[in-house]
Amino acid sequence: MDSSALARFEAVVLPHLDAAYTLARYLTRNAHDAEDVVQDACLRALKYFDGFRGEAASARAWLLTIVRNTAHTWRGRQRGDALTTEFDETQHSEAVVDDSPEGLLLKQDAKHTLDRALEQLAPEFREVIVLRELEGLSYKEISEVAGVPVGTVMSRLSRARARLQEALREAEGR
Amino acid sequence: MKRRGAEVIHPGEAQLDLYLDGELAAVDARELEAHLAQCAECARFREERLALRAAIKANVPTFEASDTLRQRVRASLRTAASGQTQRRFTFGGWWRPLAMAASLAIVAIGSWNLAIERAAGSALADDLLASHIRSLMPGHLTDVLSSDQHTVKPWFNGRLDYSPPVHDFAGRGYPLLGGRLDYVDERTVAVLAYGRRQHLINVYLWPATRSPSVAPKTRDRQGYHELHWTTADYTYWVVSDLGLAELHDFVQLVQQADTLAR
Repeated sequence: MDSSALARFEAVVLPHLDAAYTLARYLTRNAHDAEDVVQDACLRALKYFDGFRGEAASARAWLLTIVRNTAHTWRGRQRGDALTTEFDETQHSEAVVDDSPEGLLLKQDAKHTLDRALEQLAPEFREVIVLRELEGLSYKEISEVAGVPVGTVMSRLSRARARLQEALREAEGR
Repeated sequence: MKRRGAEVIHPGEAQLDLYLDGELAAVDARELEAHLAQCAECARFREERLALRAAIKANVPTFEASDTLRQRVRASLRTAASGQTQRRFTFGGWWRPLAMAASLAIVAIGSWNLAIERAAGSALADDLLASHIRSLMPGHLTDVLSSDQHTVKPWFNGRLDYSPPVHDFAGRGYPLLGGRLDYVDERTVAVLAYGRRQHLINVYLWPATRSPSVAPKTRDRQGYHELHWTTADYTYWVVSDLGLAELHDFVQLVQQADTLAR
């Protein structure tokens, strides 16, 4: 690859690094692994860049597709990380018990509830929430990124939202 | 949504989500809105969804890729890309085959001189862009790290056959970060690096070989701007990803300082 092609690649792809990192964060659930996934995904993207025929506008969905697949491959290698999750939960609960003012406590409570509920969603459901609510992708783009039909995107989004709402309701009733 | 006798058919949850996400066709959306106006149950569902959306917005953050990660990614891309370069071009500059192909293609249409000029100009612009991107990698921005123009200017002495004017614009929001040497257009040239918030600006300058043209010419390439003008003494190229409006302000500062110095 010559340096103008690399420059083109960087200019098309690097503006979406925050989006890539956000998706990786929610799929890997930790900062360090997310960085590894992003770096790995960018290298893969460079390799496939010749095959990218889209406009700069679709570059985000294209990069997110690669990040998503990289993260899922990574997950396959990291089975049995339940210990990390439990550890994180303990940390979160302790943070909430802290002697914070009541308003902050409530806010942290909603945050804590959503964090946990998101974390407990299966990755297929978590990713549609992140892609829709945080990245603002259209159903069609999500269907490309997740590699499933638009109908599946619809039903996954609906079910994921229902679970999150349920978690918030439970937290309020507590 | 549709009335069949006295029975009201409610839209499904996925249908309502589709509507709230703005994915429903206008005709269907209007029908659904009519239903929402008179169905308390579906209206409540909508309120819950909107509350969830607000809760997510307030509590579920997006993340920013750290500078460390950005630099790591750039560095690994460069390493990967240069590995591929070595396999493909074993001699000469990478741009030679491209420049030649470009000139031959345009010659076929008919204008020889224009073709040479364009190919050379575009190769130079590509060269400068590559240099700019290289300078973003850790440790590549400056050879002499100083915000003091009186340190940077003498540093070039003896390293170049000209003594470039160096000015700091920290007072105007464009601090001088340092200077370095680079090799473009088949000569060693002075480069001055400036900062603007998170953005970097590289200013390349070397003795002019052409007649002055004061109005900067702009070339945009995939998110980077390249501004180019020539004074009586120097050819200037400015490369940055900074917004074009601010970049023009910066160029004006450079031009003013250059005029005052003469």
